[in-house]
Amino acid sequence: MGIALIRNFVVLLFLLVLQLELFSSLRFFGVMPELLLAAAIAAGWYGGPLGGALIGFSSGLFYDFYLATPLGLNALTYAIIGYLLGQIGAFLSDEAEWVIRITISIASVTLGLTLFVIFGELIAEPNLYNRNFGKILVISSLYTGALLFPIHYMMAWAFGSDRITPSGFDRRLG
Amino acid sequence: MAMPRRYSGSRFALAILVLISVTLISLDARGYAPVGNLKKAGIVIVQPFRSLARVVFSPVGDAWESLSNGDNLERENALLRTQLDDLLSYRIANEGAVNDLEALRTQLGLQGLGGHETVVAEVTAGSVSNFDPYILEINKGTQSGIREGMPVISTGGLIGRIENPGLRDSRVRLITDPTVNIGVLAIGTKEIGILSGNGVDQPMRVLDGIPISAPVEVGSILVTSGLDRSPYPEGFAVGSVVETLADEVNLEKELLVEPTGEMDNLDFVTVVLYQPSNLE
Repeated sequence: MGIALIRNFVVLLFLLVLQLELFSSLRFFGVMPELLLAAAIAAGWYGGPLGGALIGFSSGLFYDFYLATPLGLNALTYAIIGYLLGQIGAFLSDEAEWVIRITISIASVTLGLTLFVIFGELIAEPNLYNRNFGKILVISSLYTGALLFPIHYMMAWAFGSDRITPSGFDRRLG
Repeated sequence: MAMPRRYSGSRFALAILVLISVTLISLDARGYAPVGNLKKAGIVIVQPFRSLARVVFSPVGDAWESLSNGDNLERENALLRTQLDDLLSYRIANEGAVNDLEALRTQLGLQGLGGHETVVAEVTAGSVSNFDPYILEINKGTQSGIREGMPVISTGGLIGRIENPGLRDSRVRLITDPTVNIGVLAIGTKEIGILSGNGVDQPMRVLDGIPISAPVEVGSILVTSGLDRSPYPEGFAVGSVVETLADEVNLEKELLVEPTGEMDNLDFVTVVLYQPSNLE
């Protein structure tokens, strides 16, 4: 439990720093990936609903420190997404094709971004819903989807999963 | 078909996390100081790792930028060379204009930058969010005398104001943000209007305050009005008018305005250590 906690903290810190210092510059059409949302999604696959919710909350909170939106907005969104992925992972057969799992993960990124904007609009946060919203949804989901493999490896390591072997990895995210 | 796994307690845990999140959101939205301090503490803890990562990743970011903006840079270089030639030849012919401008400032009762202390800060990052592109991060904070709301300028004029300053870093909210409103005065007139941001790469707009008969035309320069309750000192260049649209119903002019301050590829900005008298 203690080691998993430390490993998860290390992975989240690493992804946060990558998000802030690398991927905020590496933008496609002005859009960057959402690594910390991807971490919540991967945590849902590996840690179940509880792990997904806890890691999602933590990763969202880490990200919230750096945003102008109120503290807790990303934490709320990512916790829900992590929990949902955990539930889906629990009900999905282990034999499900990796394509299905990837599709679900990418759809979850889209859902996460949409939820974030909806929650933001509910508390009258300016700028969240703007003319680029559609572009952000599509590009960020695909961009994040392209980075899901390494993030899944990191999360598998963080949770001490035995599914980190290539065959198990394929089965899980695959 | 595999049997679904059951995770006891996960729903209860989610409910608790949602409750914590909503509490944090409502406290932060109300400006509850301990939550703000928690944010600042989080930033301070991660800062050493960010600094290290900046050293490692900045060449990658620069390379990416030069790859993706290569055409723009070439065009910008050519434009700058032309402008430099124009300016050099223009300078001699317009030496006297400086005196005229000074006289005009005196006549309008406007102050220059000279009246206020300034701090030069390095731009350490742009926006780190997909949804809020109107942010810059700088490497100076309250330790250097920077306070909430202070104006930030770059070459050419006002570009933003300080938001949420930390001890050694601050955030700059750019004037292109649609939520930012600035009281402006059209140079050469006494017309005052409210300038609002209109999004990235979109001209800012003055929707109210300029009568249709006012001599404000394309090319007119707008400066901060410095009126009562304005967070900005008077006389800072904000933008130049690029288009005027007549509103025949309200007998007012709508102005489309390009910022005069440089906002792209910024390395350094200047923070004007100014606070309105009603806040001091």
